[in-house]
Amino acid sequence: MEHIRLPKVENVRLLNRVSPKRSRVGTLYLTATHSIFVESEAGGRSETWVLHSLVCSVDKQAASASGCPLLIRCKNFQILHFSIPREQDCQDVHLSLQRLSQPQRYEELYCFSYKPNVDEEERRRDWAFVDLKADFSRMGLPNAQWKLSPVNQQYKVSDTYPAELFVPDSAAPPVLVGSSKFRSRGRFPALSYYSKENHAAICRSSQPLSGFSARCLEDEQMLEAILRSNPRSDFMYVVDTRPKLNAIANRAAGKGYENEDNYSNIKFQFMGIENIHVMRNSQQKMLEVCELRSPSMSDFLEGLESSGWLKHIKAVLDTGVFIAKAVAEGISVLVHCSDGWDRTAQVCSVACVLLDPYYRTLKGLMVLIEKDWVSFGHKFTQRCNHLAGDPKEVSPIVDQFLECVWQLMEQFPCAFEYNENLLITVHSHIYSCQFGNFIGNNQQERRELRVHEKTHSLWSYLWTNRAEFINPLYRQNHSQSQGLLRPSTAPYCFKFWRGLYNRFDRGMHPRQSVEDYLRVIREETQQLEEQLDSHKQKIAELKQEQGWSDAHRAAAFDQSSTARALGKNLALANTPQDYTGSLLASTPGAVDGLLVLAPQDPDQTADPNLSNGSDPESGIADVSCRSPLSEDSARDPDPDSDEAAYSAA
Amino acid sequence: MASPVSEYHSSSLDSRITSTGRNSLKMELLADVSLLPGEDRITDQEIIYMCPFNGAVKGKVLITNYRLYFKSSDTEVPLALDVPLGVISRVEKMGGASSRGENSYGLDITCKDMRNLRFALKQEGHSRRGIFEMIFRYAFPLSHSLPLFAYVNQEKYTENGWLVYKAMEEFRRQGLPNNKWRITFINKSYDLCDTYPTVLAVPFKSKEDDLRKVAAFRSRGRIPVLSWIHRENQAVIVRCSQPLVGMSGKRNKDDERYLDLIREANDTTKKLTIYDARPNVNAVANKATGGGYEGDEYLNAELVFLDIQNIHVMRESLKKLKDIVYPNVEESHWLSSLESTHWLEHIKLVLSGAIQVADKVSSGNSVLVHCSDGWDRTAQLTSLAMLMLDSHYRTLRGFQVLIEKEWISFGHKFASRIGHGDKNHADQDRSPIFVQFIDCVWQMTKQFPTAFEFNEHLLLTILDHLYSCRFGTFLYNCESIRDQQELRSKTVSLWSLVNSKMDIYLNPFYTPESGQVLYPVASMRHLELWVTYYIRWNPRIRHQQQSPVEQRYKELLALREEYLKKLEQLQLSDSSSPYQLANSTTPNTTSSTASTPSQQYTHLQTPF
Repeated sequence: MEHIRLPKVENVRLLNRVSPKRSRVGTLYLTATHSIFVESEAGGRSETWVLHSLVCSVDKQAASASGCPLLIRCKNFQILHFSIPREQDCQDVHLSLQRLSQPQRYEELYCFSYKPNVDEEERRRDWAFVDLKADFSRMGLPNAQWKLSPVNQQYKVSDTYPAELFVPDSAAPPVLVGSSKFRSRGRFPALSYYSKENHAAICRSSQPLSGFSARCLEDEQMLEAILRSNPRSDFMYVVDTRPKLNAIANRAAGKGYENEDNYSNIKFQFMGIENIHVMRNSQQKMLEVCELRSPSMSDFLEGLESSGWLKHIKAVLDTGVFIAKAVAEGISVLVHCSDGWDRTAQVCSVACVLLDPYYRTLKGLMVLIEKDWVSFGHKFTQRCNHLAGDPKEVSPIVDQFLECVWQLMEQFPCAFEYNENLLITVHSHIYSCQFGNFIGNNQQERRELRVHEKTHSLWSYLWTNRAEFINPLYRQNHSQSQGLLRPSTAPYCFKFWRGLYNRFDRGMHPRQSVEDYLRVIREETQQLEEQLDSHKQKIAELKQEQGWSDAHRAAAFDQSSTARALGKNLALANTPQDYTGSLLASTPGAVDGLLVLAPQDPDQTADPNLSNGSDPESGIADVSCRSPLSEDSARDPDPDSDEAAYSAA
Repeated sequence: MASPVSEYHSSSLDSRITSTGRNSLKMELLADVSLLPGEDRITDQEIIYMCPFNGAVKGKVLITNYRLYFKSSDTEVPLALDVPLGVISRVEKMGGASSRGENSYGLDITCKDMRNLRFALKQEGHSRRGIFEMIFRYAFPLSHSLPLFAYVNQEKYTENGWLVYKAMEEFRRQGLPNNKWRITFINKSYDLCDTYPTVLAVPFKSKEDDLRKVAAFRSRGRIPVLSWIHRENQAVIVRCSQPLVGMSGKRNKDDERYLDLIREANDTTKKLTIYDARPNVNAVANKATGGGYEGDEYLNAELVFLDIQNIHVMRESLKKLKDIVYPNVEESHWLSSLESTHWLEHIKLVLSGAIQVADKVSSGNSVLVHCSDGWDRTAQLTSLAMLMLDSHYRTLRGFQVLIEKEWISFGHKFASRIGHGDKNHADQDRSPIFVQFIDCVWQMTKQFPTAFEFNEHLLLTILDHLYSCRFGTFLYNCESIRDQQELRSKTVSLWSLVNSKMDIYLNPFYTPESGQVLYPVASMRHLELWVTYYIRWNPRIRHQQQSPVEQRYKELLALREEYLKKLEQLQLSDSSSPYQLANSTTPNTTSSTASTPSQQYTHLQTPF
């Protein structure tokens, strides 16, 4: 609270980037956790909430006659343009927001003050919702070849690794420790994914400290052990996700890559994914293209191309495909980059999505992120800029993973149980710091911060609201939902992800969504099924009461058996979901950060824990644009649409 | 009736495996081709198809007076090609009798539908002479005094597509004639304008004599006539060609007065907006050849240029697009290559022009649209604007009416633009104007997936038969020639095929909502390359017989139907028994098919 210089500014204008006429006047409140803009217009009073932790930058621009402009860019790609009447006020808001959006200590993060209506026992249960051990036992582990190693129990071997790691049974602790000494940050090769069917595995590590000629017997034994744990294959791949030049440069610093001659039966492969700095700059350039008000064809396409963003996405996906194919063919792969927490996390998780249909389910994606990103120590604090820190450490590595999944969803619309909305929501919460999942860089830090004791888990929150995240096209028995996905990675297959990067430009989105239609009819079908069931039950009851004649009974039996068969078909055709109670809960938006608030008194709205579990994070209150059937959806040429054709003329 | 559409259209090309029970001896290789009534075998021959995706494929080719059919004899590569000869734009010999190298001697066929075909033959014995001559002859019948296949075709359909569009019926549907607009038959023998239809709608106050005077001042006599009238606000879309202003800046009082009559026919139009589809410079340049645009002498009018390029620019643009997608899709700089074709830019300009027209009209302002001759860009703009304004044109039959009316009857020069049966492949009159229109429609269906009764398959079918010459629909440049050639009595209409098997062209998501004006977003972030048309020959494009979304929706619709029926049955059996279920309000089964999901949704209530 001490950082808020000015809790309230009146007569603030929220400018509309596209059509200045649509700007709104209202009051801007600064609270401990949010900036809230309340439109003062009677009747259509709407509120815009912006979570401080989502603020990426605050820029004060030169004052003009109409006021002093303040530009707020958010990590979820929302851009808010305020105009504040008095320069001094603007200065105060600017300084307050700058401080509020850049917490110095973990304890300041929103998750430690976020208190939804969940009792303690439930909160604890929620943290157990995603269980990595269960995922490994789903893979059939431990088994004769792979065991759970206690070597990192106290985070002594590698402080950025989780306590529980699967390693080859034949690798004794001294081998692990020896290997870890030969790897950056002690991140020795450990199992990420195991294929029950053909025993091939994906292992991950950091780069070896090979310099120009150094060797390490234990590290060589370690790789040998991985190879041997897959008895049907006589070689394994070592995938270095970096461009060759970068890897060579690392040798000068005593790091580097494996020498094929020193390891038995490895095939070494460079992949050419660029480093975090290249990715950060690329996204920056792409976002500049997104911000263009009305780009011409060449502005847009050439800007997009020269940003290189889609090329980088392709590089990540290509590597994922390489790994997945190898594993599908029964060959184990060891993956690393430099430290093994950025590119390695990306490609291992992409490969998992391609290989295993489980990771294409809602629960599976949660498990995957928890496994390859959270537990293996992706540096969320730096990459997502949770705390004030070095801007050169920020990089959209996890954005790229989510985008790879989205690109796959575009190619395989029936393969994923979850929809685009889930990816966007997860993206938003990785940055929002509202939940504890992405706080801290590794397990050890999270334990020290007592994240599991003090915060809430995103996963069970998403699960509770899963009706919003289900892809109506998904079917378990569809060919796309089975086995390996073989995407095309030709450049023209990569699309610009409007839904994420231009998420808040509402004029830019299609005004009719087929998906919504599908959802509606699926819900209807489900309702009908329930209706049918209850009818049948009632009939059965009545029959029992009245004691029907045999003939009647026979006829009725006939009917219900066909109906039952139908019910089974449906169960096959859909993922059986527990929809009880949420049938009509199709209010879009509440979860993905868009919130509609009926006018209520400011005290109440300032309270961050609004309603059970809903997310008062940010967003423009507007649901109509998401409803497929809204009356006005197509009637007027949306004046918000920044590129509404006539500007083109 | 065979449906060659599905045989040679996208997905099944290169992958059709015949499942006829007959033995697959080499002799019988071509036995499974089902020819159309009237289609005759000309020749067949062993040949090697130089597939750009699979390499050389041995097989046999069959030439008929309608198609080129190739089937591989290699069971490893089960591949078939079924190409209507009308698609061919150019046939060339490659290599000579003494050419070295494997498969260097053969034929190179350029197609109008974004692909090329190469065949190799044995070098000895002039093996290609016969087949080359036959393809050349039957692909370009008009250059050899032969009839187009449409005149030989004996197909019979249950529906008669020629009845889809009747000018008078369409005017009546629009509420015409009324007290402001009358129907004139002044052009009944095509002597006012030989490229216009016979029935025209003109301002009520105009005299026949005025029309003749105006015709003298408009390029090719294409006077301003009504295309569409807004039911509520009575604003109109009027189309014509450019005024013959010339270098000297000639004026024509009759034309000026006529435009004012058009303006006056609508009470709310203060100024008649004239949309000149061309870029300003082109319009100026046209003065040198006697054309031009409306100047300040037209009081109560405002002129807007829409910057749409001419047919030559469009042709080159599509040619560039073909270069980057066939046979291989450009890899290294996909986006900038795509940009350099400018194809999407042109799509954007056409769409945004149409949006402006539609917006003006729906706000109660009459507009006049022209380009140079008023049969290319003008047709694009009026038809797209009408598609945005009038939901009738978004139905399967309405769309046929739109094409028949704005394109065919108003003399879009299909024969010149497509070059049906003409060997002159380099003709400067060729241009993909109609393809561009269909692309714009496709862009709209992408943005409004529930607003159109028809699906992508219809658009693909239309484009396939734009070239095939199997139907009379797209033949010739204008109505006067069609009458002369007795087209409608001697050929079959494409709409006969479509309307006899409507269900495969229907969009399951269609939700009729009349009175809705659709404004697509003509933004670069929204327009996409129509991959399933332009890149459909590439086997790497994931071909889906039916879009998974459509398929799933249909399944669910069927399931809902079943449940509703089941429920009804239960209730019937229930009401016939003495034991009534309490509160059973079954959803209204009869409305289920017609109503939208949302409407239906509100009806549903679990009775217990």
